[in-house]
Amino acid sequence: MNDYLDEPRRSRWRDLSVGAVLLAAAFLLLFLPPQYQTSVRRTMRATVLRPFIMAQSDLLAGGLRRVDVTELRAQRDSLSAVVAAQASLAEENRRLRALLGLQERTGPSFQAAELVRVGMEGGGSTFLLRIGSAAGVHVGSPVIVPEGLLGVVWDVDRGTAQGIDWTHPDFRASAMTADGRAYGIVEPRRGRFREEDRLALTGAPFHTDIPAGTRVVTSGRGGIYPRGILIGTVVGVEESETGWRKSYVVQPAVRPAAVTHALVGVGDDHADLSRLWNVAHADSGSTAAGQAGIPPGSDR
Amino acid sequence: MSREAWGASVVVLLLIVGHLLLHVTLGIGRAAPDLLTLAVLLGARRLRGGPAAGLGLGCGLLQDSLSALAFGAASATYAVLGVLGSRSRDVFVGESALFLGLYLFCGKWLHDILYMVLADSVRSGDVVSAVLVDAPVGALYMTGVGLVIMGAYRALGWRV
Repeated sequence: MNDYLDEPRRSRWRDLSVGAVLLAAAFLLLFLPPQYQTSVRRTMRATVLRPFIMAQSDLLAGGLRRVDVTELRAQRDSLSAVVAAQASLAEENRRLRALLGLQERTGPSFQAAELVRVGMEGGGSTFLLRIGSAAGVHVGSPVIVPEGLLGVVWDVDRGTAQGIDWTHPDFRASAMTADGRAYGIVEPRRGRFREEDRLALTGAPFHTDIPAGTRVVTSGRGGIYPRGILIGTVVGVEESETGWRKSYVVQPAVRPAAVTHALVGVGDDHADLSRLWNVAHADSGSTAAGQAGIPPGSDR
Repeated sequence: MSREAWGASVVVLLLIVGHLLLHVTLGIGRAAPDLLTLAVLLGARRLRGGPAAGLGLGCGLLQDSLSALAFGAASATYAVLGVLGSRSRDVFVGESALFLGLYLFCGKWLHDILYMVLADSVRSGDVVSAVLVDAPVGALYMTGVGLVIMGAYRALGWRV
């Protein structure tokens, strides 16, 4: 970093030219074809960023181990301490057991994976998975949790994958009401705060009224998501479009920020998953979202 | 390379590593300061236009690799910021904390607006509050952190 204020004018012009070339290269990146973007992303993630991404996974695992130690100490110290310390552990346990139960029922078409969140600008709706193409994950693999659909895999390396959750502006899913009366496309709606983010079921027929409380699931159309994954629950009408289509506000079943483990679709088996969320038959519309079909007493 | 230049390089490198540790390893979002922008702004003040654009491009690539929004938006934003930061020495000369604070504040604000435009997030959010509330608050936060870091840096006898 040498001072350049006293350098000859020619040198400064040359320097400005280099700057202009680099500036042009930076802007060219905006128009880079997606396959090249993917290559650059993968290279960066596999080299410079790898230690930081791996460290987060290790920290997460270390945190879980520390919880265990705390638990053991608490058991030794006093019964009241055990009760206090079990609160977070029981929650973690419940999640993992629910995921385990879900995996048993989804079969080999889904693989469990650890989910890592990145706090970088522009990465708010993305996550990294510690599972990749070696395990059969591919671009477009659905990512589900016991509560329902979390998102979709966006990019895959051999050992890791990057995905977007339903809050991402580009997220779309072909959906239907659980009773199959109305079909549409689900897309995100940004709230004033991230906690207010919702989904919208767009393109539903105008003549079909979908009552609040109706569950919305993936329809299986489009070949991305298997049929029957719970997306959320209708909470009201968003708008009527030009008198022949309606949009409905959907309360999502999954809160992305709370997810630490998920199941990722592997292979191209698009079996009907309605049975996992008990939405195979006509939906009564009276139940709230988020009932993941966990067998009674399996995790409590 | 002088001892002072080495010191500046180390500070910039530490800021980049610190940003990745806070935002990637620890997964802290907006609660952690934007040290990447700080690194580009501080580095650019000591670099010529070309290297400053290169520094910006490199930092932008780091961010773009983890972002699912418009690829290249961060690279272009940081490259512009690098060149402007470098050129700013020809226009504004100052070593005071007030000047440095203003420079960092304006730089970060400009960064946020540029990124918002290039990432096309203008369409999907509340632009007014993002530009007039979120961006200035983020800029203020980063400026505060930047002044503390530069205070420590100057305590070692080095100039900005």
